[in-house]
Parts: sequence; C-alpha cells; structure tokens
Amino acid sequence: MKRPPGSALRPSVVAALLVLSIYAGLIVSLFWFLDPGLLQHTLFSERTLFSIRLSLAAATLATVLALLLAVPAAYALSRHDFPGKQATETVLEFPIIVSPAALGAIILIFFNNPLGEWIQENLVYFVFGFAGIVLAQFVTILGLAVRMLKAAFDEVPTDLETVARTLGASPRHVFFTVTLPLAKNGFIAAFILTWAKALGEFGATLMVAGSMAMRTETLPIAIYMRLSSADIEGTVVLILVLVAMGLSALFVARWLLARGGHA
Amino acid sequence: MLEIEGLCARAGDFRLEQISLSVADGRCHAVLGPSGSGKSTLLAAVLGTLPATAGVVRLGGRDITGLPMEQRQLGYVPQHLGLFPHLSVEDNLCFSARARRLREAAYRPLLRQLVELTGIGSLLDRRIGTLSGGERQRVALVRALVADPQLVLLDEPFTALNESLRRELWWLMKDLQAERGLTLMLVTHDLTEAYFLADHISVLIGGRQRQNGPREAVYHRPATREVARFLGIRNLFPASVARSEDGWIEADCGVLQARFRLAGEAQPGDRIWVGIRPEEVALRDADHPPRPGERIWSGKAHLIDMGAEAAVRLEIGDGEVQIEMAVSRRAVRRFALADGRRNVTVALPESQLFWMPAG
Repeated sequence: MKRPPGSALRPSVVAALLVLSIYAGLIVSLFWFLDPGLLQHTLFSERTLFSIRLSLAAATLATVLALLLAVPAAYALSRHDFPGKQATETVLEFPIIVSPAALGAIILIFFNNPLGEWIQENLVYFVFGFAGIVLAQFVTILGLAVRMLKAAFDEVPTDLETVARTLGASPRHVFFTVTLPLAKNGFIAAFILTWAKALGEFGATLMVAGSMAMRTETLPIAIYMRLSSADIEGTVVLILVLVAMGLSALFVARWLLARGGHA
Repeated sequence: MLEIEGLCARAGDFRLEQISLSVADGRCHAVLGPSGSGKSTLLAAVLGTLPATAGVVRLGGRDITGLPMEQRQLGYVPQHLGLFPHLSVEDNLCFSARARRLREAAYRPLLRQLVELTGIGSLLDRRIGTLSGGERQRVALVRALVADPQLVLLDEPFTALNESLRRELWWLMKDLQAERGLTLMLVTHDLTEAYFLADHISVLIGGRQRQNGPREAVYHRPATREVARFLGIRNLFPASVARSEDGWIEADCGVLQARFRLAGEAQPGDRIWVGIRPEEVALRDADHPPRPGERIWSGKAHLIDMGAEAAVRLEIGDGEVQIEMAVSRRAVRRFALADGRRNVTVALPESQLFWMPAG
C-alpha cells in the first residue's frame, strides 16, 4: 500500500507508535532484571513446568468447553430472533463489566448456596481444584467466545444457507458444509484469542481455586506468588514465558485473520 | 405447476397480502414491482425462509406451504447468486447431489448435459473467486438445475450485469427453458427483462398484487394508475364516460379536448383515466390528415436523444398537459428531429388507448 506523503509525522501515527512503545517498553524493561543464569534453572524447575502444564491444560479445556457452548449460541444469536435474545447479547459483556475478581467471587459464593453445595458434593468439586480453574476461565472467556463467533457467523451471507437448503441439504448439513467452513478463520481466531485470554486469567482463578503451589498454581498465579515473596528474577522469567505464549497465539490469530478469503 | 392461493406473509412491519397466481409447467412467470413492493417477501414465502400467515402454495399438486426448504424441490438463484466461495465450480455443481446422497450415475448425465448447454466445461476445476460475472451466472443456473427442481426461482439474478451480458444470459435462459421445459418464477423490477423471459406477469406494489395476466395485457393494458406509473407510462389523462353501449364507451377527455371511443363497460358519468404507452404515440407530418380512429395534436415539443431512441414531450396549450412519446431512431431521422424544442404533430391511435376507473 502506498503511503500518503508525510504520514509518518501525523499526530495519529505518533499516537499509534506510542501505544506500541508503551507495551514494548514494559516488556523490554523486564530484561533489566533477567538473570541468564537463573533463566534455565527457573524455566525447567519442576514447579514452573507444573505451572506451564497446568496453564496449558486448563486454558485448552476451558476454551474447548466454552466453544462447544458458544458455537450453537453464537449461531442462534446470528441467525434467529427469540425471546431473551437482547438480554443474552447484553450479558455477553458481563465478564468485561464485572472485574475477574468479582466474577470469581460470584462463582465462589454460588458454591456456598444449597445448589452449589449439592453440585460440589454430587457432581464435580470445583473449589480449590483443577475443575475450579477451568470453571473460572470458562466463565471469563465464554462471553468473548460467543461475541467473536457471532461476528464470524454474521459474515456468512444467509443467502448461501438458503441456496444450500433448496439444493436439498438439511440445516445440519448446511451448517457443517457451508456455514462453518466459511466462518473457519473467525472460528480459529476465536479459539486462539479466547485461549490466550484463559491462559492469562488471574482474578477469577485466584478466587475460585486459590494459590496453592503444585496444585492450583497456573502461570499468572505463579507470577503473583513469586512476586509476593520478592523473587523478582523468578517472576521475570515466568512473565516472559507467559508473554511468549500469549504473543505467539496473538500472532497466529492475526495471521489467520489477515489471510482472510476462503482456503 | 405452481399454484399460490391467497398467500399472506409478514416481514417485520411489512405485510404481503392475498397473493394468488399460478405458473403452468414449462412457463415463466415474472413478479414485477418496485423495491419494497413485496417481491422478495413473496419469494421468501415460496422458498420457505418466511412462514406464510395465510394461504397455500402448491407445487405439482402437493401442498408445500409448511414443508422445510429442502423438501420443496425448488431451484433458487438469488440476486448475488449464492455460489459457495470455499468450493470449486464442480463441487458447487455437485452440492445438491452430495447433500441428497445420490449416486454418480443418477446425476452425472444431467450435469454433463447442462455443462455442455451452458459452455462451462472448462471452468469445473476453477475457484468461484476466479470466475467472471457471466461465468458465475452460468454456474449458479446449472447448480440450481442439477437438482432437477420442479420450479426454479430467479431473484433478479441478472441485475448486476452489463447490458450485453444480460441479453446474452436472457437468450441462454430462453434456450435452457425450451430445452429442459423449465418452470420459472422470475422476480425483477425490470419490465424489459420480465417481458423478454416471462409469459405471464404479476405486478406487486405495496405488498399487494395490482395486476396479474399475460405479459401483453399487463404491458399494453395496465389495470391501475399505480401499475401504469410503475411501467413508466406518464400519458394518463382524466376523462369521464359520456356514453356506454354494447361493450364500448365514449369518454370525454377535457384536458385533450377530445372524445375517445374505447372498448369496455362503464356507466355514463363514471370518472376514468385514459392512457397510452409512449411508443404507441406516432409522429405525423404537420399537413397529414388524421387516419381513421386517430386524434392529432400539434405543439412545441422537447426532444432528448437517448441513443437507440429519443424521448419527446409534447406540450399542449399552455404546457399543463403533456404527451410523452418514445420515438425510434428511424423516425428521428425521418422527421429530422434534433435535441431541443421544435414544433411537432403527433397522433394518438384510439386502438392503442387503454383506460381504467379513477380512484
């Protein structure tokens, strides 16, 4: 793309570069405290590897579960009018409005009411365990997943689905052979971005699962625990691991979105 | 055969009311109307994307009003064609057969025949995004026909094309219809397209069916003032019935200061509109005596050359009454007309006049 002359000097461009420099500067500043000798030791310690494995497993499971519910929900919001549609669309913003800590506290309080206690005793025990981490992340990312998938489905013209139906395809066949393939890029981007958000989730996880080493210590919790014990160098290593994983996911998402079109 | 009886449907605040029409096997029926007239709502109700609130849609004698879309045996070519961009041309064409789990032997011969008829054999491996406008149209038509539907619904599929390509595809559609005995329902706002392709025309305005009949009748004898206006006829003059006998009326048209003898039944004193299509108004030499059944007017006319023809507007008296005419290029040369204002003499043949009740 050809740039208009003098675009590099425009205040808006300067502002955009300032945004980049704020985040890049913060990340680069971490290296001030990076101890190369400690890097390998911290990175490959049993506790760090446990945190990485726990974070990957919980984020992946939470994302898969969220998408399993989000795909049909987003499709319904994109294609159908039904009572409660507007309320559903509004509530998607709930995890954004309410802070993650409050969201986690709401979950924790829920498990102290009779229904919550019954669920914990008879179905799955969530509080202070792996299931609690997954649940906290699931609740945090569900709204985002639905919103992103709805946007992806909105992009698929309904005419294509109508034509497919007239060609003899059942609604299910149309969904899997027309709608989903055409929303593929949006679907993959939704998976990666919600996964990255789940990976970095802290507030709700802390409330529901607590901060127990080698048990509920996801990477963000591990960062919090190391910083609490004034282990700056260890904290920096874990932050860099989290940043590397998150940024990689974001770059893949951007690449997929930029690729656009239809494979 | 498609039969629609008393069909009503609602799309938001818009209501489609009491539509009744039928399309005989092997015929093409055009639903003509301006935007917002209810054409798309009617199409949606026949397709099944919108539920009918009343009425019946029958196809081949079978009531399909409540059937799911995939069981209606309809072919559909929407305005933007609805080609699947993630599939190749061949996969688009085979979509129907695969969705219905047909064996290759059951659909390949028909597919091969249609591909040959439309000349798209070289496109089968191409992606949809690489096709030209005309190629896309052909692929969309073939895809709809491969499913061997009882009725093909065309929703303004030729609108986005240039004039030359549109005409080429109209001819292709005619050939396909003749070859395959297709039953078509065409939704369009273009009178020329409707007249070219259809045998019968229904005119929809404001969600209601204003006229339904053979294309010649709709074209030459619009039933209401709204239909006439939509069909581009501005030559409508108020008149009142002076006499009526044996299927004929005599109407006095004050603004033209003429009495016309017209076919039809009405009561003396009834107020009517008398009209004529602009191309039925004839130019005459100034000294030419009127032919039998003709009325002649002279006056200042304004001509605009439109290439294939010229639009002429004759002003009568102080200019409050105007007669519009479409003059062929040949007539423009014959009468040495040019852009601008000049004196002309025009004739209105009574046989080409139509009338409709006022109000």
